[in-house]
Amino acid sequence: MSDIELYLFEADKNKMEAQRVATQSAGRLEAKTLKLIDLITSLEPYINDKDDGSIRAKSVTYLADVLSSLPPRVLSGQERRLLCDFILGRIEGDAEGIGASARALIALEGLGKWDADTVQKVLRTFIDNTHPLRQFKLQTERYALVQLIDLLLAKYRDALRQLHESDHEFMTGFISYFEGEKDPRNLMIIFSLLQVPMTEWDIHACAQDLFDSVFNYFPITFKPPPDDPYGITAQDLKDRLRDCIAANSDFAPYAFPQLLDKLDSTSMNTKRDVLHTIQACVLGYEAKTINLYSVTLWDALKFEILNVQEEDLALESLKALGLIAAKFAETAEGPLNAYLRPVIKECNEHLEDAPTKQSEATGRILHALAVSGPAVADKISKGVLPVLFSLYNGSQSITKRRGLLDVFNHIVAAYVELDELQPNTNTEALQAYANDALEAMIRALVNAPKAEVSFRLASLKGLTQLVSTRNALSEKEGERAVDTITDMVLHEQFEGHGDIRAQAIKALTDVAHSIPLVVRDRSVPAFMVELLDNPSEGSVLAPVLEAFAQLSTERQIFDTIALRLKNKYGVARHQGAPQQYQRSLLLALLYAFTFGAPMREDGIIRSAYYTEYAEPLLTDIASRPAAEQDHSTLDIVGRIVNVLLRPQGVHFQSTVYNKNLQWLSSAGKDEMLAMALAPFTLQYYAGMKAEVADAEDIVSVLKAQAHLALHASSDPVGVSTVLRHLSLLVNKFINPKTMQATLEASGIEVGVLLSATASSQAIGAAFAVVKGLLIQGKSGALATRYLQALLDILASEGKDVARHFATLLAPDDILSKENHCLVSGLYKQKIFNQSVPFMIDAVRTADASIKPNYLIALSGILRWLPYSVIEPSLKSLIAPLLQTLDLNEPAEQEVKASALIIFESLLMHDPTIVAEHTASLVTRLLNSTAGPANKADVRAKALQCLALAPRQLKREAVVPYRRQVVKRLQACLDDTKRSVRTEAVKCRTAWLGLDEGNEDEE
Amino acid sequence: MDADKDNANPTIINPSDLPSRRRSAPTAKRPGIFDALAPAYPSLADPLSSPEASSDSASSDEEREEIDEQEVYDLISTISDPEHPLSLGSLGVVKLDDILILPPTSPRSRISTVRVLITPTTSACSLTTVIGLGVKVRLVNALPPRFRVDVRIKEGTSRTADEVNKQLGDKERVAAAMENKSLVNVVNTMLATCE
Repeated sequence: MSDIELYLFEADKNKMEAQRVATQSAGRLEAKTLKLIDLITSLEPYINDKDDGSIRAKSVTYLADVLSSLPPRVLSGQERRLLCDFILGRIEGDAEGIGASARALIALEGLGKWDADTVQKVLRTFIDNTHPLRQFKLQTERYALVQLIDLLLAKYRDALRQLHESDHEFMTGFISYFEGEKDPRNLMIIFSLLQVPMTEWDIHACAQDLFDSVFNYFPITFKPPPDDPYGITAQDLKDRLRDCIAANSDFAPYAFPQLLDKLDSTSMNTKRDVLHTIQACVLGYEAKTINLYSVTLWDALKFEILNVQEEDLALESLKALGLIAAKFAETAEGPLNAYLRPVIKECNEHLEDAPTKQSEATGRILHALAVSGPAVADKISKGVLPVLFSLYNGSQSITKRRGLLDVFNHIVAAYVELDELQPNTNTEALQAYANDALEAMIRALVNAPKAEVSFRLASLKGLTQLVSTRNALSEKEGERAVDTITDMVLHEQFEGHGDIRAQAIKALTDVAHSIPLVVRDRSVPAFMVELLDNPSEGSVLAPVLEAFAQLSTERQIFDTIALRLKNKYGVARHQGAPQQYQRSLLLALLYAFTFGAPMREDGIIRSAYYTEYAEPLLTDIASRPAAEQDHSTLDIVGRIVNVLLRPQGVHFQSTVYNKNLQWLSSAGKDEMLAMALAPFTLQYYAGMKAEVADAEDIVSVLKAQAHLALHASSDPVGVSTVLRHLSLLVNKFINPKTMQATLEASGIEVGVLLSATASSQAIGAAFAVVKGLLIQGKSGALATRYLQALLDILASEGKDVARHFATLLAPDDILSKENHCLVSGLYKQKIFNQSVPFMIDAVRTADASIKPNYLIALSGILRWLPYSVIEPSLKSLIAPLLQTLDLNEPAEQEVKASALIIFESLLMHDPTIVAEHTASLVTRLLNSTAGPANKADVRAKALQCLALAPRQLKREAVVPYRRQVVKRLQACLDDTKRSVRTEAVKCRTAWLGLDEGNEDEE
Repeated sequence: MDADKDNANPTIINPSDLPSRRRSAPTAKRPGIFDALAPAYPSLADPLSSPEASSDSASSDEEREEIDEQEVYDLISTISDPEHPLSLGSLGVVKLDDILILPPTSPRSRISTVRVLITPTTSACSLTTVIGLGVKVRLVNALPPRFRVDVRIKEGTSRTADEVNKQLGDKERVAAAMENKSLVNVVNTMLATCE
């Protein structure tokens, strides 16, 4: 059998085998064991079969398959020409196998480039003989045709343009050729190939036809079938169609009227598409074309902004309006004036009855336009500001004035944004009214009744923006603005009028970023006047200090602020000012170094700050006896030292370390003094890098701290500080290899601590040591053993031990990477795996009397874990968590709260897991909403969980409880706490909403 | 579309001018920015005391916060107007000054009364009844049963005030209205914006 016979035999049964036959023929052609002429001759009886079209089609397919498998340079140029003519000749008489013909031609083109004549002939033959495309029922056939045409348009632009230019009829056939195509894969290619004539050819004469041929598809409503293998989305089609519509200015007369017509659609998606397309058109079409439609577009688009239906539609419309303005801003002035004239006129009209929805929209419109270019902003200002200020001055109504100021602020905001993009924007038009505005706003802030919050807020915002606009205000005017805001910050402290003081502080820091030197020269002295050296006990200067500290976020005035605070502290301390005031000054300094903008070298806070600020404080501490040490002052000083010391290099730290070693170690020997200094030493050692400290020194520090932890009977805060210090030392400084020996030598080996008659101090110390080890993750076996030891004593000890479990994972700002501690990446997962399964088991088997121990300990671990860690074990956790909700002792409120938080996330993320426990969960949640046994935050959290149930669980699962829940929630509506009542209302609304739409069933 | 509305372009009150509990609370009581600098983490010695617990609930848990006019205002000011996507508070339909809580009339009675006066955006507003109904439904659902809810139209603000007041005052007519599905839907959409 010849190859063609074999191929025809296999074609319907086994595509792969048929393909193989074709490849084999190609191989023989390449090896020259088969001549092309023989191959064609062998085709003859089949390719011309008179009776059976499908045989003819398959023969062409064979030819296409053979050609596709041929490597280049097997066929000579002449052979390729002949083949091309042969295939085209067939098409004229017979459309069977048209897809295969196209594929054969694509293959041929791949074997060697065509000349212009061939290209034109190919396209001609197809358009003339296979028009229209939709006559072919198979998508694959049409797909091959479009692919061929796409290939031609991509590679042979000139040849085809000549074809169009020499024959004016050609385009008509070409456009209508694709009519009626519906398949998204084909459309994707058609939209793309049509862009060649649209953008490159002169299509003025047939613009309407060409436009209609694509606009017929607008708006695209295509929904890809589920598991669509081609992955074409509606958005892909929309993008390509939009590019077509925006491709040529000649489309404008058809595009804009039709698009605006569709803007009236009731479908939000259609409107969205229209707006995107209008934007694309504005960008794509020439300015002189847009000029013809600018006012029409304004008239249509403004409604989307004046009467907002959907916020995003308004935003897109604003963007479109801005794009039009930007288009003209680049070119001539005439079109811009023509466009802006009606806009300004209408906006001015809306200003007359401000504040309304329309006047608010006006502000947005003016902003969107002005921000599109300095020239536009200039015209807007010249057109609107005179009217705005004459209305402002002509009205006594504060609400009206506020509405006008809002609009003004929108315009200034545009200037601020423009200036960020291109500095030195021309602000002349604004300057003309800047003084009016400044006066009006200062008057509002100084004289308006304090209850007019929005008016004053608008003024404050305007003032900040004016200051931020370069050149808008003169130096004198800038100073007045700063003075006004400073005055508000300083003197409006104790009255409750909204958040205006907070806003004023923010405004002042913003202003400080724009004109730091003015703030330094005007505000800083004013603040210093307020901050007395030695205020009386009762005066409250903390708010002033807070505001002052926030100014440190501006780099250029940071040093001034820090220095003034330091000096003030020195004076206050010298004069014996109240402790509270001294602490506030130190806190302000700490704030400045933590959140402010101190000078940096290579990204690190300059070490000079340590020498200038921290060292004097440290010397001061070292010189005082135990009785004069103030616990919370020491804590703050410690934090200042910590923040300045910890980023410094080993060399610098070593110097500091050695300098302080002596007095610190001698202080460590005095139990009283060591205890008093604990808050400071904790922060000090936290800032040190591990390699700075000498191992032996550290062991003696550890011993001293261990002694304090086990023996000193002090206030709980002091003890907790010492315990945190233990965790820190264990985590950072002690060599993991000799860990157990070191712990033994210091008397805090966990096994020993937990032996028979463990005191509460010993247990605390044990937990502190284990915490340091667990987070470190370097002494895995030891940590595991110790953790198990802690778990084991749960069976015998009281609830106090169980409560300690919450400390293991509690966040701790000492044990952090910034403090050079060793923090294992997976320590939370590890602790979870090593303790939670054990406790779940224990809860199941334990005696009723000790079961609460496990529940409390479990919740202590769980409360700090991220949901993702708990997630895999949720199923087994539900039972213990539900039992936790039954704990009713007052001491267990926190435990309950943390269980409720887990239920909350559970209901949010994995409601199916709780579904089978709905009954027990609803009952327990309801029980937890009752006061006074439950604290307010537990009641509120329980209500929040309960409110999630009807939303997250299946309807039929919760409906049976509706009556009961709604009834019992009535009691919660009368809870003693307002916050709980608010949650009760939300919760009850959620449950009441359950019966919507099923009245028939009940 | 605008033509259907009774008042297409009403005056809007700026959110920061609306009465709120925060607005009237003295500034000094709020936590300062320095408080966060030295955070009170649960310490080892006192393991289960979290910062929130120590700051507010522990000390004042027993103190009762009475339901006051502001609370009632907060319940109803977030209801949406049926024809504008705006809240009743920002349209000035409900005002803090027009809410009154009347204590029980006799020492033996536990029943207090909440009286809310509604100001329609225009005197011809045809949706006044629906607004009143929405306010009433919201309060009945959200206040404990010891409150009697009395919703009326403020005198001289609506031409149909008497008629509407009669409807809102009549328990059975309110109940009947809430059987009407389309009315229930309107009320539910209005209440959907309430928290």
